[in-house]
Amino acid sequence: MKKRRGLLAVSSLLVLSLTVSACSSNNDAVNDTSKEGNGNAETTPVTESANPEDLYLGKYEEPIEVSTVRILSPSVKFTGSETIDNNVWYTEYANKLGIKLTNEWSVVGDEPGGQGEQKMNVSIASGDLPDIVPLNASQLRQLADAGKLADLTELYEKYASPKTKEVMTSSGPEALASATFDGKLLAIPSPTSKIDQAQMIWIRTDWMKKLGLEAPKTMDDIFKIMDAFVNQDPDGNGKKDTYGMAMDKDLYGFFDGLEGFFNSYHAYPRQQGKANWVQAEDGSLEFGSIQPEVKTALGKLQELYKKGYIDPEFGVKDWNKEKELVVSGKIGLWFGSMSAPLVLQDLKNADPNADLMPFPLVSIDGQAAKAQIPGINLKTPQYLAVTKGAKNPEALLKMINLFFEVTYGKTYTQEQVDKLSTSPVDGIERWMYSIYTAEPEKNLTTHRLMKQIFTTKEKTEADVSVEQMGAYRSVKKAVNAEKMETIDWALNRVFSPADSSFNIIDNYDKDGLLLPSAFSQVMTETMTKRDSTLLKQELQTFTNIILGEPLDSFDKFVENWKKLGGDEMTKEVNELMSSK
Amino acid sequence: MVERLTISRRLFIGFNYIFLALLSILCILPLVHVLAVSFSSSSAAAAGYVKLWPVEFTLESYKYVLGKEEFFESILMTIKRVAVGLTVNMVLTILVAYPLSKEVNKFRGRTIYAWVFVFTMLFNGGLIPLYMMVKYTGILDSVWALVLPQAVPIFNMILLLNFFRGLPKELEEAAFMDGAGHWTTLWKVYVPLSAPALATITLFTMVFHWNSWFDGLIFMNSPHNYPLQSYLQTVVIQQNFTSASLETIAELSKISDRTFKSAQIFLGSLPILLVYPFLQRFFMKGIVLGSVKE
Amino acid sequence: MLNKVTEDRIAIVESAAKPAKKRAWKFQLPLHLMILPGLLLILVYSYGPMLGAIIAFQDFNPARGIFDSEWSGLDNIRYVMALPGSFQIIWNTLIIAVMKIVVGLIVPIVVALMLNEVRKELFKRTVQTLVYLPHFLSWIILGGVLIDILSPSYGIVNQMLNWFGIDSIYFLGSNDWFRPVLVTSDVWKEFGFNTIVYLAALTGINPTLYEAAVIDGANRWKQTLYVTLPGMAPIIILTATLALGQVLNAGFDQVYNLYSPQVYETGDIIDTFVYRIGIVDAQYGVATAVGLFKSVVSLILLSTSYFLAYRFANYRIF
Repeated sequence: MKKRRGLLAVSSLLVLSLTVSACSSNNDAVNDTSKEGNGNAETTPVTESANPEDLYLGKYEEPIEVSTVRILSPSVKFTGSETIDNNVWYTEYANKLGIKLTNEWSVVGDEPGGQGEQKMNVSIASGDLPDIVPLNASQLRQLADAGKLADLTELYEKYASPKTKEVMTSSGPEALASATFDGKLLAIPSPTSKIDQAQMIWIRTDWMKKLGLEAPKTMDDIFKIMDAFVNQDPDGNGKKDTYGMAMDKDLYGFFDGLEGFFNSYHAYPRQQGKANWVQAEDGSLEFGSIQPEVKTALGKLQELYKKGYIDPEFGVKDWNKEKELVVSGKIGLWFGSMSAPLVLQDLKNADPNADLMPFPLVSIDGQAAKAQIPGINLKTPQYLAVTKGAKNPEALLKMINLFFEVTYGKTYTQEQVDKLSTSPVDGIERWMYSIYTAEPEKNLTTHRLMKQIFTTKEKTEADVSVEQMGAYRSVKKAVNAEKMETIDWALNRVFSPADSSFNIIDNYDKDGLLLPSAFSQVMTETMTKRDSTLLKQELQTFTNIILGEPLDSFDKFVENWKKLGGDEMTKEVNELMSSK
Repeated sequence: MVERLTISRRLFIGFNYIFLALLSILCILPLVHVLAVSFSSSSAAAAGYVKLWPVEFTLESYKYVLGKEEFFESILMTIKRVAVGLTVNMVLTILVAYPLSKEVNKFRGRTIYAWVFVFTMLFNGGLIPLYMMVKYTGILDSVWALVLPQAVPIFNMILLLNFFRGLPKELEEAAFMDGAGHWTTLWKVYVPLSAPALATITLFTMVFHWNSWFDGLIFMNSPHNYPLQSYLQTVVIQQNFTSASLETIAELSKISDRTFKSAQIFLGSLPILLVYPFLQRFFMKGIVLGSVKE
Repeated sequence: MLNKVTEDRIAIVESAAKPAKKRAWKFQLPLHLMILPGLLLILVYSYGPMLGAIIAFQDFNPARGIFDSEWSGLDNIRYVMALPGSFQIIWNTLIIAVMKIVVGLIVPIVVALMLNEVRKELFKRTVQTLVYLPHFLSWIILGGVLIDILSPSYGIVNQMLNWFGIDSIYFLGSNDWFRPVLVTSDVWKEFGFNTIVYLAALTGINPTLYEAAVIDGANRWKQTLYVTLPGMAPIIILTATLALGQVLNAGFDQVYNLYSPQVYETGDIIDTFVYRIGIVDAQYGVATAVGLFKSVVSLILLSTSYFLAYRFANYRIF
């Protein structure tokens, strides 16, 4: 071990001297290290070219070494001799950029609170940090607070390619702002789609047809459909064993969450368990779940439960368990996000006649319903940061540039792109090997492309990128009425020009019916500390109300919420947002 | 010895057999269910149709687990872990339990020692300090990191200590009279006579090492060094649909996590099903005292 | 009898004279040597990391580490106590854990005794193996299975209750029933483990004692009462005492996979609470403080029972 360390020190010394000459700009991090370094900085000078392209994707003449750790998704796959330590992307970093990227460790499990985060916590606490670290929001805050991260503000300006900058801000300035501490950019966020989170109504259309029901226009139509699904035996087995709506014990969620139901009542509570904030008339921000509209909607849910429209055991089931009732054909309506058909391929497999259709949210009154979306949405790991001692902090930006060059750029041939993204040969998603991935509104773009190809005919197959090919093939099969596999059915339901979930999202977007959370930071200090306690109380109160507790316990919950840190949180949130 | 059976005794025996049989069925049914799920199609499992018999029989989940190269790497690692861990644990357990089974007048300081060990059952410093210790001692990313931190399983040690204490003192004294020291007495007298207790803790130790997964994830730097259960833990789909990409969702939906987890459980308990019946040979009654009967 | 005499004699010899003392030390030396490797390892890997528990008194920031985080005294404990429902949580933990300890102690004894009466070896071994199997099931899987079999609408348990004219019970959603369900399912899952321990203990009972009892005219029941049970007593006391160390462990995995907002009132325990504070909210100092509190309580209980057993039964548990 010691020997290796010595070797590393020597090589990094070499690397250091190169860096100093390579970017003799006014950048603090590098200048700091040059002071610590020694005098032999006058080795092979790298041509400081005027062409900014060289800054974005230029190759280090002498290869540099950069260390990192990797947190992988369980769905990542390898074949042959490829591993996460040695794969097409890492080879590309070496060949194209002159960056030898090494993993100090890698772990599978990227879900929030999962194995990756825990292993990262251990590394942080033991001070065992590589050059580039993948972080979640609270880890970023801790490291920032301890002053362990390099300032990327100027490096970002200088090295981030226009495409990188475009993506970073494509879903708003919040993503970069959330990684900025005291005016310094300390990490590069991985923004992912916010609008994909908007909810809609999913209904079994084969049941609707069978019972002669019309597409819902108002909330009352929805209640009528629920009633028919409960009382008119939609599965035709002669038993009253079906329910009107799916929901689960977490109340909020991507599959059968109640966000959409609440939105129909112009209430905007938590989204997928995360705090949501609304703007009051005076412009100040207020917590979504304590608004009076939430109480009204809860009253209605209580009524629906009493009428037997809701699975009486929803209170003990998580979404996956509740999904059983949907797959086995006992429930045909729920509020949820765009991915339902993909999650419900088992339904189609079990009952080929089953069909699902998304409908836009409807309103309880004349005023149109808006779908809530988060103010900021980052994929895991949420950030990549560079630790202070790192010799080449700009290497991170170069590798990010490379990802976007491969994804959107012109310098790579289709064949090369195939090798680096989802392979048409073996179907392995090699883009997952890249140290950084983020394509915020990719899904909506794909849908719009389908419209342009099949509806307006402005574009052709040649415009379909490799990433979009899977969706395109499925939609094409549907258009040509070819034989479809279950996955084709699911992808078509999500992406097709009409009758798809993204068609609904596209319309929300065009009609201004999306309502992002008024608070677009990750979390404030009190939120980090109190949120799990407050969430627990909220779920407890709301569940008990739905199950029949007097509706007025909502008021007591609001009172408690304020006392237990809610007021403090509201203050922090308002201060933060007014300072932005 | 012919026992005359009274009616009440017969009734009891009958009841006893029936009760134990029912109890076994109660214990085995959920496992049968799990096994059935692991051999069922994803849609049947997802709809909750599977009870005690596979519905739409398929080997998909097993193919998925066994189909990755990492599976065999992890099997090798687990075998290594069980072998090393079992050896270290058993040797140390015996070596610690023997002195502590002595009375204070024969082994001064035993009570202090005993408390020093028991204390570690109650207090621990948590994951992060342990990780740092493992790192400082240079065993990170090796099988030793999975073995040395739990080198002395205290519960097993106390069990064995009590068993040693229950052995007749005459044996030990006879050995001492013959001029044997503690080492000889331990290996020649105590260990052979403690077969049932040793079989028990061998079983517990094996189960422990076979099924531990968290330390593998934390102390190993690469998925290639994961023991089996750590590996399985990472392929079992973590239901992270919230921020997953559509591609991931599509991929995850292909394999039902329920059938998969069931396969995992079955694989996890398999070696025990194979080893335990063998170990039961050592549960012979009265071997201990039979040997000292004058 | 002989036993007692020799023991005394050795004791006398040992304490007689100085050279004897020296000889005793030399004779005992191997005992110290035997303990040494195990002792060193636990000093390094158990006691070393224990120093890390001082973060219980810090406003711990992992990035600053143990040495640079700010000290906060007892703030972490105060913080927990100020949270709503923390006493309810401790109470829930105690009730659930104590019920599990008591039931979990009795069931394996009864099963071991019943197995002891079985003469057919094959049957005995089969039962022994089968009852150990639930131990390998995970609570994630069992959570789903329990929702099914306990369902008030289609669950098998309620269907059986209905045959007897009893109304369906919403076991997992009722604050009256949630704890009994936890206890029953946990005991069911783990009793095989202790049964094995007791069976091993049964092998140590001197067969001559049974022969003597038969000669005295004792029937099987009397033999069980006066020979078998006393023979198992040390191991029973031992497991009971060690179980006391678990009095604040109500079983995280089980509760986490079975509870729901409906039964937070009776089912939320210290460990699920620590999970929320420590993992979800990332407050390591607070989580460690709670852990330390648990350890101290266990230590007090364990040492009390240790000394009580020693004083009143003149028996050292370990």
